[in-house]
Amino acid sequence: MIRLKGGRLYDPAQRIDGEVRDLFAHEGRIVAAPAPGMTIEREYDLSGRVVMAGAIDLHTHIGGGKVNIARAMLPEDHRYSAFSRTDLTRSGSGVAAPSTFATGYRYAEMGYTACFEPAMLPANARHAHMEMGDTPIVDKGGYAMLGNDDFLLRLMASGADQKLVNDYVAWTLHATQCIAIKVVNPGGISAFKFNARNLDVDEPSPHYRVTPRAILATLTRAVHELSIPHALHVHASNLGVPGNAATTLATIEAAAGLPIHLTHVQFHSYGTEGERKFSSAAASIAEAIDRHANVSADVGQIMFGQTVTASGDTMAQFRNARHAHPDKWMCMDIECDAGCGIVPFRYRDSNFVNALQWAIGLELFLRVKDPWRVFLTTDHPNGAPFTSYPHLIRLLMDKSFRDENLARIHPDAAAHSQLASLNREYSLYEIAIMTRAAPARSLGLADRGHLGIGGAADITVYRDDPDREKMFRVPEYVFKDGELVAQDGRIVNVVRGATHVVRPDFDRGIEKRLRDYFDRHHTVRFDNFPISADELVECGSRETLVHACARAAQ
Amino acid sequence: MGPGYVQYCDTPTTVARICVFEYRQKMPDFVHAQEFDNVPCPFCGLLCDDLRVAMTKGTATVVANGCAKSRAMFTANAGDAAIAMVDGNAVDLAVAVGRAAQILRAARAPLMISAGTDVAGMRVLLELAEQCGGSVDHANGDALFRNLPVLQNTGWISTTLTEVRNRADLLVVAGTGISGRFPRFFERCFGDFETLFDVGTRELWFLGDVPGDLPAVLRARTKSLALDPARLAEFFAALRALFAGRVLKEKNVAGVPIGNLFELLDRMRAARYGVLAWAAADLAFPHADFAIQSMCELVTALNAENRFCVLPLGGSDADLTAQQVTTWQTGFPVRVEFSSGAPAHGLVRRDEIDAMLFVSALDAARTPPPRNVPSVILGRAGMSANGCSVFIPVGVPGLNHAGHLYRSDNVVAIHLRKLAASALPSAAQALQRILDAVREPH
Repeated sequence: MIRLKGGRLYDPAQRIDGEVRDLFAHEGRIVAAPAPGMTIEREYDLSGRVVMAGAIDLHTHIGGGKVNIARAMLPEDHRYSAFSRTDLTRSGSGVAAPSTFATGYRYAEMGYTACFEPAMLPANARHAHMEMGDTPIVDKGGYAMLGNDDFLLRLMASGADQKLVNDYVAWTLHATQCIAIKVVNPGGISAFKFNARNLDVDEPSPHYRVTPRAILATLTRAVHELSIPHALHVHASNLGVPGNAATTLATIEAAAGLPIHLTHVQFHSYGTEGERKFSSAAASIAEAIDRHANVSADVGQIMFGQTVTASGDTMAQFRNARHAHPDKWMCMDIECDAGCGIVPFRYRDSNFVNALQWAIGLELFLRVKDPWRVFLTTDHPNGAPFTSYPHLIRLLMDKSFRDENLARIHPDAAAHSQLASLNREYSLYEIAIMTRAAPARSLGLADRGHLGIGGAADITVYRDDPDREKMFRVPEYVFKDGELVAQDGRIVNVVRGATHVVRPDFDRGIEKRLRDYFDRHHTVRFDNFPISADELVECGSRETLVHACARAAQ
Repeated sequence: MGPGYVQYCDTPTTVARICVFEYRQKMPDFVHAQEFDNVPCPFCGLLCDDLRVAMTKGTATVVANGCAKSRAMFTANAGDAAIAMVDGNAVDLAVAVGRAAQILRAARAPLMISAGTDVAGMRVLLELAEQCGGSVDHANGDALFRNLPVLQNTGWISTTLTEVRNRADLLVVAGTGISGRFPRFFERCFGDFETLFDVGTRELWFLGDVPGDLPAVLRARTKSLALDPARLAEFFAALRALFAGRVLKEKNVAGVPIGNLFELLDRMRAARYGVLAWAAADLAFPHADFAIQSMCELVTALNAENRFCVLPLGGSDADLTAQQVTTWQTGFPVRVEFSSGAPAHGLVRRDEIDAMLFVSALDAARTPPPRNVPSVILGRAGMSANGCSVFIPVGVPGLNHAGHLYRSDNVVAIHLRKLAASALPSAAQALQRILDAVREPH
């Protein structure tokens, strides 16, 4: 048993806001204070320290085919960042597209203990799990991508019963060992294969004549009726297109009051005002999120510098390829299932559009009132590498720091943004909500994201430094399942993470139909498509943690 | 044969049907055959996974959906002795492992080559190279490095096998070896089956001769333009110029009449979903990456009007598997070296290499490149151990043990099955023992 003595706890799940308390951990769990006489093997004096649960990133592209293509395409991202092995850690490289080992170490050093890969194509799930198996320390989970796959669109085009869709959605979660369902540009990735270059929310898709609105409605309903904890994770249509705020509002409407999560909403909050026909619509999007209790969002903040965008949205990536920096890019159509596109990108503060994107992201953070419904992400690596989180936290917590940075961006962008007028500064309690308590609740991780008795002992201890960037960059201690894994920004112990999944009940009758479909049309047989729990261990996962399919009370 | 019974081995996801036939009284030995359905074949990049394989006393026989290659390779080496050797003498595995570790420990710049091992094998191979300051390559490294510079310099628009099977109305093939390297490619992508989408009359254009080994049943028209593959760069540069509206004075390009170029370009522009395929292994001429670059640039340009994709086919001998694992573990695709401790893109100079480790778990016929240095070979039973310092026989992934390989399109990973027990370690297990021995204090 270990004792974390006298730290100041920020644990929003238990409404603890900076109370000094002792914590005890034993065999990977947080436990009650021991009876007198019980041995405490190790005691950490945490007086003056800030203690939170391990952070959870619910949207980060850490593994899978597209990430590996990004790595292969960008030796320049790896050449000057390569590091050697030690007796404890493996070698690696990369900033925007880090190697798997680098990803695990850097997340753990920053106090993160769980990461969720949000775009797992069912056809590529095996690959993603193998990469995540080589991503040490942190727990992982994946969101299975549906909504551009021929099977679902065909079902919808034939007017199939919702029940059949639900069975297919549930089967997909089992077969891919995922925890949630994601839709990327509903119908749009498929439409691109039919040579369409745009697909608006109410536009029938080529071939199937199904609209994105219908896809959204069908999938939100399936996720809801299967009681999958995480809402349908939506990368909306028209990513990056000026004026797409209207699309985002239509996407919220399409959910018809059922839970929906809007991901990297910064990229979907653009208006068309001003002489450049590009403006911030953050106010109207934030207002819509506030007004609709069924909606949550993560921001996908951009940061200035070199990164790479890796997305399933081939339609958007093809459209944005002309901005590639360095000038190389790729797109791929995949298995009548989905697609992927890689476009390296350098966001510049002297560029009006990039500067305004930066301001829009921050506006969204500061305008959405409920921190339980807005999560801290950069859509790693699409907005910026995840290693920029400490800087982002300081931008949110420190108005004067924010103003200094605002003064450096393209002056027209600064003038077009109302960022300067937003005085809000996030508190430590609110940061703990948006990086721990809220993502855990949203994903249905009952034993993560909090410091309550019985919870997993994933714990991060910070020095209370007024420079919040410094504070959040180098936690003093990071515990994963009760074991000290990082200290002062160095890995001190390498453990393997688990894989979080859900397994909703469904009628196995769907498998007959799927077997016929796969064996007739696909190039992988039905028998060889699903990933078993045993295979997941072969992929490198420590174990599978199955979470209940029951909606958490909000 | 008497009535058999069917037994279901229900693992959580795969239902392997195992038919256990009743003993036949008249046979001198009991026949105890197991048949497996939907078996993935690891022996070329296509990883066809619909094979029916019978196992009889440790010998695998492909009984349905095989090709000549899979039939030969599943059955090969079944009766061959599998004995570890040190300097040509049979030894215990432990002795061979110890000697291998000694060689690698003594080396300053060992070269580690995969000529066929699965994801698990590559994982340990990389850790071993990292531990020893070695370099990692694949035996097909030259072919991989025809495509990689193009991906790293410009990129491409590509597709995968299920898309090709259901969507492509036009396939242009550059180079002539696809059907030899991937025997069932045309059967599985352009054979006699119903497609998900209307593909009209499918056309296959061969730049070079029409292969003599196309399947009998092909639902596609074939055409060919006689062309020396070494002149593909010139040919595609001309097509790009024509596509851009330039006027060419030449009457022939790369020996092809200009009228044929117009004909091909018109057909490519008219495609609803066109695909340009090649196997980099076929393009064994200097600066093949320029030819590939030219092909990719034309295909990207065509997407201004219609959909067209490239399909760079590889995957045989687990070369794309080596590339994928190396990329995610180090950040660089294969040809990575650890001489400074940190991974770096490329290999050390050939004359610095002072030891070699070579793994070929799929094909006993693969031989290591000639190098006058101590060598450790992990190979399929039946492989010649002549001239090597250490030989360790290993099991075959997909036959003797489970594992993962990447398919020709570099996207789909297939889970291989264990069909029969083997006393041999997997390459990953043997490599792990060597790694542990290298790390032992001595």
